[in-house]
Amino acid sequence: MEDKVISKADFSSMVDRLIQEGEYDSIEGVKTKDGKYFFGSLTNSGELCLDYDVTLLPPKKYFLPQRETVITFRQGERPAPEPVAEASSVVLIGVHPYDLKAMELCEAVYSAPPADPNLMIRKSKTVVIGVDCLNPNPQSFSASMGFATTESGYDLMLTDIGDSYVVSVGTDRGADLLARYGRAADATATNLARRDEVREMSLGRYEKSLSMPADEIPAILNETWDSRVFAEKSEVCLSCGSCVMVCPTCVCFDVEDTVALSLDSGERYRKWDSCMLTDFAKVATGENFREDRESRFRHRMHRKGKYLLERYDKPGCVGCGRCGLACLVDIALPADTYNLLKEAS
Amino acid sequence: MKPKVAFFDFTSCEGCQLEVLNFEQEVLQLLNLLEIVNFRELMTERSDDYDIAIIDGAISTDADVARIKEIRERASILITIGACSSLGGVNCLKNAYPMEEVLSVVYGDAAGYYNTIPARPVSAVVPVDYALPQCPVNKAEFLEVVKALLLGKKPEIPNYPVCAECKMAENACVFDLGRTCLGPVTRAGCNALCVTWGRHCWGCRGLVDDPNVDAATDVLKEHGLTAEDIVNKFRIYTAWTGGSE
Repeated sequence: MEDKVISKADFSSMVDRLIQEGEYDSIEGVKTKDGKYFFGSLTNSGELCLDYDVTLLPPKKYFLPQRETVITFRQGERPAPEPVAEASSVVLIGVHPYDLKAMELCEAVYSAPPADPNLMIRKSKTVVIGVDCLNPNPQSFSASMGFATTESGYDLMLTDIGDSYVVSVGTDRGADLLARYGRAADATATNLARRDEVREMSLGRYEKSLSMPADEIPAILNETWDSRVFAEKSEVCLSCGSCVMVCPTCVCFDVEDTVALSLDSGERYRKWDSCMLTDFAKVATGENFREDRESRFRHRMHRKGKYLLERYDKPGCVGCGRCGLACLVDIALPADTYNLLKEAS
Repeated sequence: MKPKVAFFDFTSCEGCQLEVLNFEQEVLQLLNLLEIVNFRELMTERSDDYDIAIIDGAISTDADVARIKEIRERASILITIGACSSLGGVNCLKNAYPMEEVLSVVYGDAAGYYNTIPARPVSAVVPVDYALPQCPVNKAEFLEVVKALLLGKKPEIPNYPVCAECKMAENACVFDLGRTCLGPVTRAGCNALCVTWGRHCWGCRGLVDDPNVDAATDVLKEHGLTAEDIVNKFRIYTAWTGGSE
């Protein structure tokens, strides 16, 4: 679709108008706290940080919340279960390309039969404004995964070219939003050349990379099931689940029921779960089929590098680097393990 | 018929009983479900006829040992609330010293009139059905356990580190902020309360079942703590090493 250009001042005005006019239930964007970045509700455009490196949690939380009621019921002989699928309208501003690619995977997982509508309903009510990542965090290897930039997954995509943003229009919905709220002009050849240049320059800022083409990862994993790399790396694993909790492509949840104190009604909710936690694979008999750190660690590396790709034809890791930043014992980054396995194979 | 519930306190600040008293919104509904027959901070009536015993405080005298055994015999379900009754808690810090010294520090010349033994969790003396550590007890978790028992369900007590909940709460990592934290080995269930409010994890819910203490110790060393600092940090809530009944 077409490319536009908007000055930074006009983009700020556009964000403020979105907040003030109230057409959408909330305007969410990247903010800062404790020197870190996170997605949160914007009350004015001044809070928005578009030159960030990475957010603590991925924007996945808007589509697959940490805790979500999925069914309400009544206690007793007629439980009358009612599915719950609530979604508000959101404009989500500042999503990096790797997180957009991760959302495409989440959508593939949740729309595969049996389809789980909650994520898709939320996605349909969210206008996504992406921004190119020009300052990758020190653990990011998303360029190696091919996701330094993306041609899909957004309604609008911004690229910071100095005083303005080039705005790539991804959907009619994006074009409509820009036309109604923004003062954008058609991008000139100079604007587009500058966009290509800043994108190219960002590629030199990645400190982590794969030592092989990304599409070789499944074959390397196939050959190295018994590699000592898994045992050696996982020895110091804290089984804290941090790597999974911050991951934009992790989609697993646990389901629990809770009842009101009146004991006459209740809800079934799901909450994020993690295959790196000790009891994740524990079943009703007390048997745990991934009891040791090594088997859990190996599972995660296969899940990220092979299982999801084979099942959904989309990579299970986008190289965002959040796991590497979160891991206190520095074992979580898939690229590090894949590189070691490649060396050993 | 409503189950009869009795609260008993041992060596503690009784803060856990105060937490239960603080239910306010929920207290009337709770009383619809339970009959409270013993609660020293709430009522003067006392009864020895109860189904569920709820204990706060550590066991730290010979008299405590006899009393908790008697309670265990009367109760069909015994629940410990708070770090002291569930883990031994801060009371166990005294266990590093001879008991005579502890008595004389606290009671001076009157030390001879008192009895004390190394402090221990309730589970070191009698079997405990459900332990709800945390200092003070987590009200939301307490309510979930009460509801589960009334419905005949097994209460879910998390067996994973605080880090998992802390990430879900989207806190910046305490280690990244230049401080240290026991979150990587401490049992979750508090929703990373202390980190969310700007502090660090002190370990008041005790360790997970399978903590990687060696790795956590290395992390604390890398972040500037000495071996002695680390022992002291771990000992605050988990000084009891004597196991359980």
